[in-house]
This record gives sequence, C-alpha cells and structure tokens, in this order.
Amino acid sequence: MVQVEGLTKLYGEFVAVNELSFAVQPGEVMGLVGPNGAGKTTTLRCLSGIIPPTRGTVRVGGHDIVRDAIAAKQQLAFFTDEPRLFDYLTVWQHLNFVARIYQVPDYERTGRELLEELEIANKRDALPGELSRGMKQKLAIACGLLHSPKVIYFDEPLTGLDPLGIRRMKDSILKRARDGAAIIISSHLLHLVQEICSRLLILKNGRKIIDGTLDEVTRKFSEQPGDANLEEIFFRATSEPGPGAPAGPPPLPH
Amino acid sequence: MIAALIYLQYHSFRNRLVSRFKRLQQPKYLIGAVVGGLYFYFYFFRYLFRGFGGRPMANLAVSPEHLQLFESGGALILFVIVLLAWIIPHERAALTFTEAEVAFLFPAPVSRRTLIHFKLLRSQLRIFFSVLLLTFFSRRFGGNAWIHGFGWWLMLSTLNLHFLGSSFARTMLLDHGISNRLRRLLVFGLALALAGGVWMWAKQTLPALGPADTANPAAMLDYAQRVLTTGPALYLLFSFRLMVRPFFAPDAPAFFDALPPVLLLFLLHYLWVIYSDVAFEEASVEASQKLAARVAAVRAGNWRGMKENQKARRPWFKLTATGPAATALFWKNLIGVGQVFSVRLGITILVVLVIFGFALNGQVHRQGISIVVAFFVAIALVYSLLLGPQVLRLDFRNDLPLADILKTFPLRGWQIALGEILAPVVVLVAFQWLLLLVGAGLLFCLPVKQEALFLAIALGAAFLLPVLDLLLLLIPNAAVLLFPSWIQTGRDSPRGIETTGQRLIFALGQMLVLVLALLPAAAAFVGVFFLLNFTLGPAVAVPAAALAATMVLAAEAGLGVMLLGKLFERFDVTEEQTS
Repeated sequence: MVQVEGLTKLYGEFVAVNELSFAVQPGEVMGLVGPNGAGKTTTLRCLSGIIPPTRGTVRVGGHDIVRDAIAAKQQLAFFTDEPRLFDYLTVWQHLNFVARIYQVPDYERTGRELLEELEIANKRDALPGELSRGMKQKLAIACGLLHSPKVIYFDEPLTGLDPLGIRRMKDSILKRARDGAAIIISSHLLHLVQEICSRLLILKNGRKIIDGTLDEVTRKFSEQPGDANLEEIFFRATSEPGPGAPAGPPPLPH
Repeated sequence: MIAALIYLQYHSFRNRLVSRFKRLQQPKYLIGAVVGGLYFYFYFFRYLFRGFGGRPMANLAVSPEHLQLFESGGALILFVIVLLAWIIPHERAALTFTEAEVAFLFPAPVSRRTLIHFKLLRSQLRIFFSVLLLTFFSRRFGGNAWIHGFGWWLMLSTLNLHFLGSSFARTMLLDHGISNRLRRLLVFGLALALAGGVWMWAKQTLPALGPADTANPAAMLDYAQRVLTTGPALYLLFSFRLMVRPFFAPDAPAFFDALPPVLLLFLLHYLWVIYSDVAFEEASVEASQKLAARVAAVRAGNWRGMKENQKARRPWFKLTATGPAATALFWKNLIGVGQVFSVRLGITILVVLVIFGFALNGQVHRQGISIVVAFFVAIALVYSLLLGPQVLRLDFRNDLPLADILKTFPLRGWQIALGEILAPVVVLVAFQWLLLLVGAGLLFCLPVKQEALFLAIALGAAFLLPVLDLLLLLIPNAAVLLFPSWIQTGRDSPRGIETTGQRLIFALGQMLVLVLALLPAAAAFVGVFFLLNFTLGPAVAVPAAALAATMVLAAEAGLGVMLLGKLFERFDVTEEQTS
C-alpha cells in the first residue's frame, strides 16, 4: 500500500532523510521511531506530499505521490502532532469542508457517527477556540477519517489525550488496520509502539537503522531471546558508543 | 528586591537589542534596516535637530496669541482620553505580566508594591520609545526637540499612572458593589452635565455664531478659544492645561516655569497608585494567560486568535459534498470574511467615509446630499481598490501557516490558489458593484448633462473591477509564496526599523508589478477607444474599450492563478520553517 524507495530529503547540504526504503502493506501498523532530529516528521511529510522528496519515490496505493499527487492524496490521511484547524469553522463546518475536498457524498451520516464515536457530537457548533486540546485532536481525527483513507499517518497521536482518549485512539488505530488500512505511527512512546505496531522502523540521523517485524527487530538486538524490551532495543539500536564506552542506554538514576 | 527586577529588565532589553543586531547579518533584515533607516531619517529624524540640513516642513511654532488655544485644545484631548479611561474599560485591575514573570515573581517573596514598581519601570521603556517617535513627528512642525521630548514624557507618564490608578479605582468600585454599568452611567452622566453646562454658558454669554462665521475658520477658532479659555471650561480643563503647558513652552525658562505643577500632578498620581491597596494578582494571572495565548496564536500564524469572543458564523451558501473541490476553500474563506467584517467595523468605515465626503464636499461646492453621496461613492471605490486587497486577507496570507494541511488535499495547485483568493475578490466586487449601482442611480438626482457617458463609464468600471481585484489580490499572494519570510504571515513577527524597510520595499515592488501588469490592458483600452470613439461616440467606445482591457487583464489573471498554483506546489513548508 505504501512503497518507499530511496527516499532522500536535503535542506541545502543537510541530509534530513537518507536513502530510505521500506513498504507497509494493508492491515499493517508500522512504528516509526528514532531520537529527536532523526527525520521522522520529514519522512512523514514526504510520504504525504507536503514536501517534495529530493530523490527517490513514494507510492501510495500504487500512485506516485509526486507525479500522480491527486490520486495518491485521495487515499491518505495525515494527523500532525498538533491539531491544525481553521479557527473560524465550527466542528460541523470542518466536516462539511473536508467532505467537499474529498468528495464524500454521504458525509452527514459518516460525520455524525464519527462525532459520536469520538464523543464530540455535543460540540457540533463550537469553534476550535472553544475546544480543549484533546477535543481539537478528536476533530482533526474525525476530519481525517471522514473519507475512509486507505493509508493513515500519525505523528505523535496520543499527545493531549486523556487516558480514555488514549484507549479509544489505540482501539481506533487497530480497528482501521483490521479494516485494511496501512498505518504509520511516528512516536516517542515506545510502549504505544510495542502495543499496537506490527512492524518497526528505527531512524537515526535520517538513515534507517532497522526495519522489520517486532520479532525480527527484537531478535537482532537481543543477546538472548526475551532479554530486551523495546526501550532496550531502541537504546541499543540508536546509541553511538564512544571509544571504550559500552553500548547501551544511559544508566537510570537510583 | 527591586535591583533583581531592574536586572531582569536591563538584561531582557539588552539581549533583545543584541538579537536585533545579530539579525542584521541576514541580508533581508540588513536591506530592510537600510531602507527603513533612510525612511525614518528623511521623514522624521532630519527634522529633530536643527543644523543637520533639515528644515521643519511647516512652522507651527505656537505664537503667544494662540498659545492658550493650543493649550486648551491639548487639554481637551487629554480630558477626553481620561474620560474614556473611566468609561470604556470593564475588567478588574490587572497588571500585565508575561507568563514567565507570573511564574517567577508571584510565588516569590515580592511585595505587591514592588510588583507595581516593576510594572511602572517596564512601562517607562515603552513610553521612552513612544516619546521618541512622537518627538520625531511633532518636531517636524517646529519647536525645540528637548522641550517636546520632555513634554511628551510628562504627559505619557502621568497618563500611564492615571490609567493604572483608574483601574485600581474601578476594581474598588466593583468590590463595593458598584457595577460597570452604573459606573459608566455615572461618569457619562457627569460628562454630559459638564458639557451641557459649558454649552449653556457659551450660549448665554458669548455672541452667537452667524452663518458667515461658520464658513470662516478664523472666526470658528476664535469662538473655540473663547469657549475653552473663559467660563467653566477654564476651570474644568485647568489640571489638563497644566499637563500640556511644558510641551508648548516656547523656550527653556518657560518650560521650567511650567514644570513644578506637572511634577506635582505626577507625584500625586504616583502616590495614588502606590497606596491603592487593590488585589490585582488573580486578574493578572488571567491576563498573562490571555496574552500568552495571543502571542502563541500569532506565532502560529493565527492572527484571528488575537480576537476574543470569536463567534461561529453561518456559511454564505450551502456547500454540497460533490462538485468542484476548490469551492470548499472559497466557502471556508467566505465564512472567515464574516469574522473579519463585523457590523461595528462596517458602520465605522461608513461613518469615516461620510465624514470625509462631507469634508471634501465643503471644499468643492454645495449641491445637496446627492453630491455628498456621489463623493462618498467615488472615494469608497478608490479606497476599495487601494485598501480592499490589504484588508481582506482571507487567502494565502491567512492560510499559509496551515500550508502543510492544504498540501495534503487532493487538489492541484491552481485549484487551491483560485479557491484561496476567490472569497476576497467576490466580496470586493460585490461591494464595488453596489457602489456603482448607487452612483448610477445618482445620475437621476444630479444636474448631469451627459448621463449616457457617465453610465458608460460605470459599465466599463463594472467590467474592469473583477479582474482588477483579482490581479490586485494575486500580487500580494504571489509575494507571500515567493518571499514568505519577508512578508509577515504571522509565524514570527519581528518589529523594528528593518521591518518597516521590508514593508516599504514590498509596497514599491507590488506597485511596480501592478503598473507592468496594467500596461498591456491600458494599451488595449486606448487602442479600442480611439478606434470606436470617432465612429460610435464615447458612450459605446468606453465600455467597449473597458471590455477589451478586461479581456487582457483576465488573460493575465488566468496566467497569474496558474503561476500562483505552481508557486504553492513548489512551496516548501519545512525549508521556510527551518530558514
């Protein structure tokens, strides 16, 4: 569903993403993790057509995101870490607007269901300024899911959500995956990634460190079977040992 | 304790200044600073001190016979400002602190009085810059720069203390159960009674103005001088006159003579503020949060986030789920227009234009209300072209901070561009066509002989205006996509001379592009007009020529929309954010 080959993004001489290749199939949830500045957000922006890649190709549902942008974008939804809303449109007007952009004829029924599911149906006529951070997040999600995207990207999806919202969001992601969507989640919350992702891609300095199923990644970075959780794996994969220094995470304070 | 606060203030100011200078390493700020500096020099600074080759643009140094009138005029303005400070505000006293200041200072062992001192100290910085600008400006009309500077400082500092004191008094009144409405009613009633008293006295004591006097500015000024400098107004404006007297002092001895009463007023205000025992902390915390939210909104590019009490607006038309997708952007921006244009703003514009029309009419000739309306229509039309595209920013200039969202839409660049700029075009054209209709209707009320020609001109204008508006809106939108970090879209809003310079450069650039775009259309207009004028007459030649020019402009606008779309497609959000 998502195929990335040799994706490279340069800013001047700075290499933000370097020769990245991977694929995500329908029904898969891929976790995109890496330290700050690893190139996760840049990668997601290239994958969603927000910024053009310097080199390489990105295909969404078989459509090239640069050459056949309209068809590719019709199939995807991108949820940014901060909900980005039009501050003079009400909740319902947002859905109406998105429905026209993505040509969703039965948006009224779908929109009502989404608002009910996300528990913001009573805020239908509210402006974003009247909503809490979590509610804005929910509205952005409702807008993104209105056209039933086949490919969904999440950038830190749990930011600002309460515990119930987090539970619902996880369930919602898994439900979309079961329905056949290909999902990529960029997050620093490794327990979230471990809980819901079937694949993992670790980035560092714009380069792919490893890409595979959770089991494959665990096997590669474990000295013995079952001796490491994802946090350990992350530190092992991303640490840069200096001369004479042991590899591994910084010690926890006692 | 105050030493720590002075330290904070000093280093904040110093670091801000250093970062401003460091910013000049970037060419866009350096060029802006040079142009802005030249502008300030030629427009203000060379008038500040004599001997630099600059002469005052007009010598309005106060002559002794007019000194009282100037003083009274200034005193009256101060009186109105103070009166409004007692009528308009409605909130409880809140010293505005940043969130960081609230976080550090409020839990710290800092007394309320020290906080007030800190606030006063900080406001001095703002006052200093205001004094500098005001002195630049007032010095252009003659007088001594130092006297002007100190005069402005005394006035602004005393007013600053008065605003603070009145906010404390307002809070005390609220605490004693006197509501804002009752306070406003009482102050407004008192002001009306005072104005009524002055009016009654003037009517009974002074000789009435004849029709000849109302047309004679000198007679009117003389009458105003007598009203303000004798009778009750003399006592009413006494303390305000004391405040403005140092500013109007013709020389140093006169200035020092006028100084002691103002310093006394200043001291009394200071004591009033310092000894007011009013709790402002809670309201200050709330105010700081609002301030932080506004700053965050503006930095995020959401200028409308500054507006409080934003209301949901109904869409102008029902948007169906199918059809051209770009219509959704047009529909969205039309809703946004409702947020920008309130009824209050509409009434204000109308009042200003009518007053302007009356003022112009008085200088031309008097032929009744129709002429006034005709002037109003003409002025409004010109202003709609000049200011309309600047005021109606519901396009890329507003949505650029959300460019990453727009870029995820399955639309081509030109569709997004067209959808973005269509709303301001439609609003402007509707307004202008309405004005043209009013203008055409006036032809039947005015003693105009060439109705057909005037109607032809109106028809020609009706053809031209939509494409002209489109073109006028395309230019700033293209500029914002080409040079997003030059045109302030709200992501960051640096201020200073360099920003003024940048704006000047852009204004000139936009004008140049517009002139270049208009040249082919003007050539088409002239060609068709001369071709038809001799055979069919101007009544046909004007609209036909306008139609030809419209077609040229429409072709240019069409190309412009395609170009704007390409620019948007190439616009790299991340590069702009990281640059």
